[in-house]
Amino acid sequence: MPLKESEAIVLRSFPLGEGDRLVSFLDRQSGRLRGVARGARLPKSRFGSTLELLSHIRIWYFERETRDLVRINQCELIESFLDVQSDYQAGIILALVSEVTEAILGEREVADAQFRLVLLTARGVRQHGPSPVVLAYFCLWTVRLGGWLGSLDQCSRCGRAMEHEPAYFSAGSPGLLCGQCRQEWMRAISPSARMLGRQILSGTLDRLLQENPSKISSNEISSFALDILEHHMERKLVTRKLLGTGVNE
Amino acid sequence: MPDFAEPVERLIDQLKRLPGIGAKTAQRLAFHILRIAPEDALALADAIRDAKSNMRFCSVCNNITDADPCLYCTGPTRNRKMICVVEEPHNIMAIEKTRQYSGLYHVLGGALAPLRGIGPDQLHLKSLIERLKGGAVEEIIIATNPNAEGEATAMYLSKLIKPLGVRVTRIGVGIPVGSDLEYADEVTMMKAMEGRRDL
Ligand SMILES: [Zn+2]
Ligand SMILES: [Zn+2]
Repeated sequence: MPLKESEAIVLRSFPLGEGDRLVSFLDRQSGRLRGVARGARLPKSRFGSTLELLSHIRIWYFERETRDLVRINQCELIESFLDVQSDYQAGIILALVSEVTEAILGEREVADAQFRLVLLTARGVRQHGPSPVVLAYFCLWTVRLGGWLGSLDQCSRCGRAMEHEPAYFSAGSPGLLCGQCRQEWMRAISPSARMLGRQILSGTLDRLLQENPSKISSNEISSFALDILEHHMERKLVTRKLLGTGVNE
Repeated sequence: MPDFAEPVERLIDQLKRLPGIGAKTAQRLAFHILRIAPEDALALADAIRDAKSNMRFCSVCNNITDADPCLYCTGPTRNRKMICVVEEPHNIMAIEKTRQYSGLYHVLGGALAPLRGIGPDQLHLKSLIERLKGGAVEEIIIATNPNAEGEATAMYLSKLIKPLGVRVTRIGVGIPVGSDLEYADEVTMMKAMEGRRDL
């Protein structure tokens, strides 16, 4: 039973038995794994705050050949996002990042790009608060990394370039359709939202934030991307329903 | 795996639904129940039935109680200027054990937990705000768990309550991050109450 050392992000954890935690984490080298942290809920636990949502940690664990669950031996904190979550709305975005990432990645599917995206998003929320732009950036990139995103400016049926007109989509198929090729029931996505989409995919988050894109376009992109993600995970996101709830300062 | 007789299967199934009880433990408990004297087994069944039919939620603080309002809400010696806010009814016991606190309680019924779909509307927040409207309460002590969800709930509550002019404090020292209040011993809990800070 060899001890493995790796870099990981804690996706979520559940109370287990008497004082233990079941932890779902994204290992940078091995992909998404689940493990047991013995005694992690006890007051003198050696895990401290390492197992909180989206904690970036160095982790040591034992893999057992016959079982799905690894045994988590030790964790060290590299970067904590515990303070960010004391803001309810920021906490919802981080929870959504965790829920989406956990749902779309298969167990042990190596996902270095998603790993970096999660970290970048969490840092973005720390710096800019519960920003709709950061959320849109995460959602659209997750769709792109999953291979579910077609061209944002060309009709996928007739090939016509769409620039200043709305495009139409269904969550199940990757390409957008023009006004002539679309089905009645398809949802529209505005030219300005698609423009933002192209900016998201071609630049850095920092540069995007400097340009201060509109909240409406950001929300449109998030909603478009989350529809696609929900379609592929075959369920509704619990955290999506909470976006925009609660009192603001 | 061979099946057990249907009544045994049913018992195991029910036990498995309890928190912290897996398939093996459920089996062990079921066979223990089958082995003990009938009157002992039925005493357990009666205890469950009695508790379920006689206990309810306090209409003031949401504590689990056999009399509504509960003994904390009606106690003549309780300090009515303070309300300690907890996540679950069993957290009240941990605080009572310290014998350091004699104020009132309010049970939220959980903490803000986006991953489980629990937002402000799923908690007993409105009834807490209602209780503050009379002006008699001077301090709210927030004793939610010292984890991310408990902290977020504390911050959210303080944003909600402070505009009403009530002092909001948070238990602090002694409770390590990541732990459950349930497992804190009396000394730790006492220190946490003493070390509360303003929010
Ligand atoms: Zn077309
Ligand atoms: Zn009561």
